[in-house]
Amino acid sequence: MASALRSAILHHVRVPLSRTLILNGSRTTAVRSMSSHGDDHLDKQEVVERVLDVVKTFPKVDPSKVTPDVHFQKDLGLDSLDTVEIVMALEEEFKLEIPDKEADKIDSCPLAIEYIYNHPMSS
Amino acid sequence: MSVSTASYLARRAAQKERVRILYRRALKDTLNWAVHRHLFYPDADALREKFEANRNVEDVELIDRMIAAGEATYNKWRHPDPYIVPWAPGGTKFCRNPPPTPGIEVIYDYGREDND
Repeated sequence: MASALRSAILHHVRVPLSRTLILNGSRTTAVRSMSSHGDDHLDKQEVVERVLDVVKTFPKVDPSKVTPDVHFQKDLGLDSLDTVEIVMALEEEFKLEIPDKEADKIDSCPLAIEYIYNHPMSS
Repeated sequence: MSVSTASYLARRAAQKERVRILYRRALKDTLNWAVHRHLFYPDADALREKFEANRNVEDVELIDRMIAAGEATYNKWRHPDPYIVPWAPGGTKFCRNPPPTPGIEVIYDYGREDND
């Protein structure tokens, strides 16, 4: 009787790994689990706030004009070299390493927010 | 020789992209050499001045030569041990813990024997 009870309890305790993998969906297979970096997946609002903070503290930018859909060169009147500096500041803020070709295409706030939000290793 | 042909514009656009990438790499390199921010800011300003001094050059050949000279200077001054984000290629955590091949499972039976 004790062994039947014990087997019943163990039957509940035994958790096959395949079920937990399916629960997390594609995230667990795409990102290394048990990694201490990049597992605090940011939510969109936090990304937006931090990106706006970085852009507002840029010395050549007027903080009152910064909104989440602003274009660096058209709306803020910045230079292409200033855009490069902003992208570098965003890389430092989110501990990312953006390849040169991708970084060249980031031209505006919504692009930057989308890129950082979709990057698996941003933290 | 018409100034606004498509090939001329394409060439200028390619040059501008090269300049932006060169500026980005040079700025990162400056940060690698001057680790502390109070040293980095004056160096970054000096680099920016060098780029700004040649802002209004119009001759395409001259721009090409200046970009090549700039890239040569950058290659000469590259830091031997740059800071790379750990999970990026070249970083310390790159490929450190590759994900296990799918299909391998761990059965958590906590040492339970089958004949118990």
